[in-house]
Parts: sequence; C-alpha cells; structure tokens
Amino acid sequence: MNDKPRNVLVTGASRGLGLAIARRLTAAGYRVIAVARSKSKPLTEAIAAVERDAHGSLHFAPFDLGKVEAIPDLVKNLRKEFGPLYGLVNNAAVGHDGALAVMHNSRIEELVRLNTLSPIVLTKYVVRAMMAEGAGRIVNVASIIGFTGYSGLAAYAATKAAMLGFTRSLAREVGRLGINVNAVAPGFLDTEMTHGLTGEQRERVIRRSALRRLADVDDVANAVEFLLGDQARSISGTVLTVDAGTTA
Amino acid sequence: MSIKLTIMDEMARVAREHGKTLGQLDDDVALLDSGLDSLGLAVLVARLEDRLGLDPFTTSDDVQFPVTVGDFVKAYEHGSH
Ligand SMILES: NC(=O)c1ccc[n+]([C@@H]2O[C@H](COP(=O)([O-])OP(=O)(O)OC[C@H]3O[C@@H](n4cnc5c(N)ncnc54)[C@H](OP(=O)(O)O)[C@@H]3O)[C@@H](O)[C@H]2O)c1
Repeated sequence: MNDKPRNVLVTGASRGLGLAIARRLTAAGYRVIAVARSKSKPLTEAIAAVERDAHGSLHFAPFDLGKVEAIPDLVKNLRKEFGPLYGLVNNAAVGHDGALAVMHNSRIEELVRLNTLSPIVLTKYVVRAMMAEGAGRIVNVASIIGFTGYSGLAAYAATKAAMLGFTRSLAREVGRLGINVNAVAPGFLDTEMTHGLTGEQRERVIRRSALRRLADVDDVANAVEFLLGDQARSISGTVLTVDAGTTA
Repeated sequence: MSIKLTIMDEMARVAREHGKTLGQLDDDVALLDSGLDSLGLAVLVARLEDRLGLDPFTTSDDVQFPVTVGDFVKAYEHGSH
C-alpha cells in the first residue's frame, strides 16, 4: 500500500460483520471511518487497540443512516475531515423477520429505508467524490437470502436482492471512471442479527452447508478486503458468496 | 473567477479527460449537446461541488436536472446566494 492511507467508509461498524470488516481493513493499513448510531464497547476497544499498533487507523462517525435527508451533509463533512474516500462498504442493515402477512408496515418501511434507500443515497454522494478522483471501490453487503428463499424473510430478502441489482448496474455506470462495484453475499453468521435463530434452525443451516459449518464474520471480512484491494482491480459487478457452501 | 467561468473551465477539463470535444456553449444549447454525456455531467457536478462548495441539485426542490447550459449556470448562480 502507498504511503497515504486509503480512506474507507464502513457503515454499521459498531458490531457484528461491520466491526469485523473495520478490524480487518485497519490491520491491512486502511484508514477506516466507522459509521453507526452508537459507539459500542467492542468498537471503542478496537479503536484503542489500533492506536497501540502501528497499522491503519480507525475513527468513529456517529450517524443514524435512517436520516436519509442528512446523508449529503454527512459525506461532505467526512470528506472535509478525512479527504478523498477510496472505499465504501455498505454494511449497515436491519434484519426484521416474521410472517409478511402480520409484519407491521412501519417495520417493512424501516427495512427498505435502512437496507436499500439509505445505502443507495449514501452511495450517490460517495460515488460523486470518487468520480471527481477517478478511482474508488464500493462493496455492498447483500445476503444469500437475496437469491435463495427463507420463510419469514420476504421483505428483508427484497432489500438484499435490490442491492444485487444495484451493484450490477452501478458497476456499468461508473466503471469507465475507474470505480469498481461489487457485492458480498454472506450466509448465516452468528451476530446480534441472528440471535433469534433457535438452536434447531442453526443446526439445520449447518447440516445443509457443504462444509458442515457456518461461515463467520472474519471469512466475510476477508472477502471484503480482497474486493477493496489492488488484486481485485479487474473484478466489478460481481457477487462473492461466502456461505460455507450453503447455496452450492 | 466568476461562477460561469469556473463552470466553463471545469467543463473543458472534464471534456479533455473524457476525450470529448466541447461544442459552442451558448446559453440555449442543450446540456447533452454540449459534448459531455450524462456521466461527464455527473463528474462535472461532483467537481463543481468541490470548487464552488455547492450542489444546487441536492439543495433545490426542483427534481428536474436543467436542460440547457444557461439553466445549468443559473442553478449555480442562484444557489450561491
Ligand atoms: N447476520 C447474518 O446472518 C447475515 C447474513 C447475511 C448478510 N448479513 C448482512 O450483514 C450486514 C451486517 O449484519 P450484522 O449481522 O453484522 O448485523 P448487526 O450485528 O445487527 O449490526 C448492524 C450494524 O448496523 C448498525 N446500524 C443499524 N441501524 C443503523 C442506523 N439506523 N444507522 C446507522 N447504523 C445502524 C448497527 O449499529 P448501531 O445500532 O449502533 O446503529 C450495527 O453496527 C447486514 O447488511 C446484513 O444484512 C448478515
């Protein structure tokens, strides 16, 4: 990596997959800007740990991504503070589940707002900055649920499938400007989002996976690091599935 | 540099970088006939946001992107005060 650290914005980096991505990228020398509503204890610890080691750096930017109208100012302020943005990882999402027939409309709306509308608008403003630079990498965190069925996740699935379509067309739109756009599709991960899964459901997912286990957040974080790195310079508009063979 | 000159300067730069030739930039020329395609215009708006510190198309309630060069320049002139 060159002398000047590359800035990467990671949304939902206070816990779960986002935090694992932030850790991995800082270890790889990036300057990571972690967006979430609250600075969790593990994120605080990760920031302290990064300050002790001489790798990249990790910064917290508090923001509620549900506030879509405030996104332009968020991006403007971050650029002022950190300079050009090299990467964007759209990871923040909510995972409301339940039978669609009885899911409250406000929950459906929240799913679409946070998982689809917000990352699209955030990408709009970040990609502009990348366009001005003539370089950049975008990684959208989708899910295998975006292309396989799971009862109770219809609305969530729609938001994740949307990000896959978004990835492919945006890759075409901005490719000429040196910007790569890709997605990762994790299988089930043990995070707060899936704590509602019963032991039996978890066992079933494991039984169905080719590798007879779940992928973990570090597996997915490695995939994200790869897509941001120079080695992935010729990869764009694709989906990298990390699911221990669940959908094989 | 005036807002208009800044815009013209940046248009020339984007055209150069994208290997395009700019036509005559009279006020009534359609933006898409200026020589820049929609992607070039997007880059232009991004660059102008940096140079002029403003993006009139986010702050305004008008959902239509301006059609002519003159309207485009006006959007920036209005947005700056
Ligand atoms: N877990 C899985 O099995 C699984 C499988 C496939 C794909 N995924 C995808 O992986 C990504 C991460 O999921 P996860 O399991 O790590 O979820 P998680 O543990 O619930 O973490 C979600 C993150 O998003 C942030 N967030 C939530 N609402 C926000 C808001 N309004 N504004 C800003 N930040 C907000 C949270 O921080 P705050 O609460 O502090 O705001 C948190 O950092 C998601 O895109 C998910 O769809 C997960």
